[in-house]
Amino acid sequence: MPTAISMRNVVKTFGPTRALDGLDLEVATGEVHGYLGPNGSGKSVTIRTLLGLLRHDSGEARLLGGDPWRDAVALHRRLAYVPGDVSLWPNLSGGEIIDYFGRLRGDLDRPKRDELIERFELDPRKKAGTYSKGNRQKVALVLALASNAELLLLDEPTAGLDPLMETVFQDCISAVAAEGRTVMLSSHILAEVEKLCDRVTIIRNGRAVQSGSLDDMRTTTRTAITVSTDRPVDGLEVLEGVHSVRTEGAALRFEVDSHALGRVLNHLTAFGIRSLVSQPPTLEELFLREYGDDLAASEAAGTS
Amino acid sequence: MTSLVDSRPKRRSQPRPLAGFGSLLRFMMRRDRVRAPAWIASVVGLVAASAASIVGLYETPSQLQEYADIAQADAAFKAFAGPGYGLDDPTLGAVMMNEVLVYSFVGVALMCIFLTVRHTRAEEETDRAELVRAAGVGRLSTLAAACVWVAIINVVVAIGLTLSLLAFGLTATGTLAYSAATCAVGMVFIGVAAVAAQVASSARAATASAGTTLAACFLLRAVGDLGTSWLTWLSPLGWAQSIRAFADERWWVLVLLGLAAAGSVAGAFVLSMRRDLGAGFFKQRPGPAVGSPRLASPLALAARLQRTSLISWTIGLAIIGAFFGIVTDEAEKMLESEAIAEFFAQAGAGTPTELFLATVVLMTALTASGYTVSTVLRLRTEELAVRAEPVLATPVSRRRWLLSYLTVSAVGTIVVMVVTGLAVGLGSAAQLGTTADILPVLGATLAMVPALLVLAAVTVALVGWSPRWAQLAWAGVAISAVVGLLAETLKLPDWLRNVSPFEHVPPLPAADFEWLPLVLLVLVAIGLTFVGLGAMNRRDIG
Ligand SMILES: Nc1ncnc2c1ncn2[C@@H]1O[C@H](COP(=O)(O)OP(=O)(O)O)[C@@H](O)[C@H]1O
Ligand SMILES: [Mg+2]
Repeated sequence: MPTAISMRNVVKTFGPTRALDGLDLEVATGEVHGYLGPNGSGKSVTIRTLLGLLRHDSGEARLLGGDPWRDAVALHRRLAYVPGDVSLWPNLSGGEIIDYFGRLRGDLDRPKRDELIERFELDPRKKAGTYSKGNRQKVALVLALASNAELLLLDEPTAGLDPLMETVFQDCISAVAAEGRTVMLSSHILAEVEKLCDRVTIIRNGRAVQSGSLDDMRTTTRTAITVSTDRPVDGLEVLEGVHSVRTEGAALRFEVDSHALGRVLNHLTAFGIRSLVSQPPTLEELFLREYGDDLAASEAAGTS
Repeated sequence: MTSLVDSRPKRRSQPRPLAGFGSLLRFMMRRDRVRAPAWIASVVGLVAASAASIVGLYETPSQLQEYADIAQADAAFKAFAGPGYGLDDPTLGAVMMNEVLVYSFVGVALMCIFLTVRHTRAEEETDRAELVRAAGVGRLSTLAAACVWVAIINVVVAIGLTLSLLAFGLTATGTLAYSAATCAVGMVFIGVAAVAAQVASSARAATASAGTTLAACFLLRAVGDLGTSWLTWLSPLGWAQSIRAFADERWWVLVLLGLAAAGSVAGAFVLSMRRDLGAGFFKQRPGPAVGSPRLASPLALAARLQRTSLISWTIGLAIIGAFFGIVTDEAEKMLESEAIAEFFAQAGAGTPTELFLATVVLMTALTASGYTVSTVLRLRTEELAVRAEPVLATPVSRRRWLLSYLTVSAVGTIVVMVVTGLAVGLGSAAQLGTTADILPVLGATLAMVPALLVLAAVTVALVGWSPRWAQLAWAGVAISAVVGLLAETLKLPDWLRNVSPFEHVPPLPAADFEWLPLVLLVLVAIGLTFVGLGAMNRRDIG
C-alpha cells in the first residue's frame, strides 16, 4: 500500500469558518511526515477529521486504505493518536491511564511501556490531577509510543516538553521510523520538523501551500544571524544570499539563505567572532516572506 | 535573543503574606460580574416572593392562629421549619419566619460555599493560580480576598433581605434580627468552605464536604427541634434560629455565630500556611503504578468515575428516606389541615399513611433524578474536557462510549431507589411497629425507575442531537418537580402535567399497580436512546 493518508480537496466548515478549505495531503507509508502551519491554520482539524471525530463537508479522505468516518473503529486498531492538548482524569494515576488506553487498544506492551515511562522520567503513581502540562503530554506520548500501531498521528506533541525530553521524543520517533511505521507529526516549530521529517506539508488557512521534501524547502529558508566581532565586518552586503544587514549597538544582524550559510561564516571568521546567535526564521516569518503576496491577493478576492 | 538578556540570578525576597490583596479582590469582582448579581437576585428574589405569598395568605389574626395551630402540632413542620418561636401569639413576622427562615439559611449557606470554593480551591486547579503566585502575590492573599469578597456579597444579600421584608411592612427589630441571623450563617459557611478548601483533595471534594456539613447542620437541628433540643445547639443553623426573630429577640446568640465564623476562617488561614498550592492538607495518596485489569472498557471507567457520586447519593437519599419513614405516623395529623390534605390528595386515593408514603416516594424519586441526569451529563463533561476524544480515537465506538454512561446511570438509579425504598420502609416500620409497609414501599420506589429512565434517555437524546443544549436536561427535572409538588397549587393544565414522566407512574402504595404505563415509559426511554445514538453517530465530536 503506497499511501497511508490521502486527502483531496477536503473542506470542513464550522458555521462561517472554513477550517479546511480544499486541503490536499499525501503521506506515504513508512515516512515521517511533518505537518506545519501557524496556530489556527487547521492542523488539529485535519487530524481530527482523519480520526473520524469530525465529518468533512466535501472532498475525499482515505486513511490506511479505509474511510476515516465509516471505518473509524476498525482503523483505530491500527493507529495511535497524541492530542495537542492532553486532558486526563484527575483522580486516576498516570499508570492507570496508560494501561486503560493500552487495554482499549488491545496491544499493551508492558516492557515497552515501562521502558518509556523510565525514559520520559514520568512518575506513574502520581494522580493525573497533579501533573503539569508537560507531564500530561508525556502520558499521551508513552501510551502512543508503547503501542504497535502502524500509523502515529501526533498533534503538536512536544508543546510543554523541556528540551531534554524533546531529545528523548526525537529518539523515539527515529526508532519508530526505523521500524518502517508511518508518522504524521503536526508542529509549528520548523526546527523540530527539520530534525525528524522526510517530507513536509505546509498548511495555511486550511489549504496546503507547499508540500515536498525538506531539502527543497531549505533553499527557501533564511536564517537570522546576530554576531559581534573583534573588528568591524565589511563586505558582508555584497555576498550572495545575504539580506537585510543592520547594526544594533555592538552587534550586527542580518539574514542569510541557508545554502549560503557556510560561505558567510567563513567570511565572518576573518573578523574574529566573539559571539554568534543564529535563529531559523519562524514559520510565520517564512510565510510572510514567501506567501504574503498570495495571501493578500486571496484575502482581497475573498472579501470582494 | 536570549543571549542578549541579562541572565544574572535575581534575588527575590518572599512577598508579604497579603501582597496583591487589592488586585486579587478586583479580579474576583470582575470574574463574578454576572454570577454575584445572579446569586443576590435569586436569594433575595425567592425570599421576597415567599414573603409576598405569605402576606397574601394570612391577612386576619384568625388565619394566623389557624396556621400556628397546625404548625405547632406537627412534627414534620418542626423538622423543616424549626420549633416555631412566636407562634404562641402569632404575628405575621413569626409566621413568615416559620416559613422562610431555614430556607434563607440554606440558600445563603450554599451561595457562600459555592463562591468561596470557586475563588480558592477551584482557582488553584487552573493554570492561572501558579502564575498569580509567581507574580509576587502573598501566600494568604487569595484566601483573604476570597473571604472578603464573599462576605461583601453576603452583606449585600442581607441588606436586600432587610429592605424587602421592611417593604412588606414587617417590624424593623424583627427584620434586623432575621437578616443578621441569615448573614451570620453565611459568614460561618464562608469559614466552613474555606477550611474544606484547604483540607480536601480537590475543588469538587471541597464543595461536597462543605455541603455535607450543611446537610448535617440541617439534620441536627431538625432532630433537635423534634424534641432532643440539645442537638439543636450543636448546629449553627440551630443557633441562628434561636435568635428568635420576631419573637422576643435574643441578640447575644449572634456572638456565638460570630465566634464560629471567625474561628473557622482563622482555622483556614492556619491550614493554608501549612500546605502546598494545589494540594490538600491531607497528602493525596499516590495511585497504583499499573492499572487494574478490570479497568479495560469505557463502562468500567464510567463506573469507577461515578463510584463516589453513587455512594454519596445513595447515603444522602437513604438518610432522607429514613427520616420521612420515621415521621410516617404524623401523616394522620397532617391531613387534618386542608391545604396539606389537598397537597397529598395529588397522590391519589388511599389511607393517610398510604398517601403520605406515595408522596415520600415521589419526592425521593424527584431527588434521585438529580443523580440520573447528572451521570448521563458526564458524557458532555467528558467531551468538553477533551477526554472523550482520545477514547474515541481508540477502537471504541461512539455507541459503546455513550451506552457506558447510560448504563452506569440506569444501574445506579436502581441501586439508589432500592436503598431509598428500604430506608423509607424500615423507618416507618420502626415507628409504626409493623413491617407491612416495607415491601409495598420498595415496590413503589422501583416503579419510579422507568420514569427516571425516561429522564436519562432525554439527556442522551440531547447530548446526541444538540450537545450545546445538553444542560436543558435539567429542565426535564425541574418540570417534573414542579408538576409533582405544585400541580394542584398552581392549577397546572393537564397537558403540562403529562409532560412529567412521574405523572404516569401509579402512585403506589396509594393506588393499584399497573404494568402498562411502566412498559410504555420504558419503551419511550428506549426510543429516545436510539434517537440519541443515531444523532451521536452523525455529529462532530468536540
Ligand atoms: N469545533 C470547532 N468549532 C468551530 N471552529 C473550530 C472548531 N475547531 C476548530 N475550529 C477553527 O478552525 C480553525 C483551525 O483550527 P485548528 O485546526 O485547531 O488549528 P491548529 O492548526 O492550530 O491546530 C481555527 O480557526 C479554529 O478556530
Ligand atoms: Mg492545534
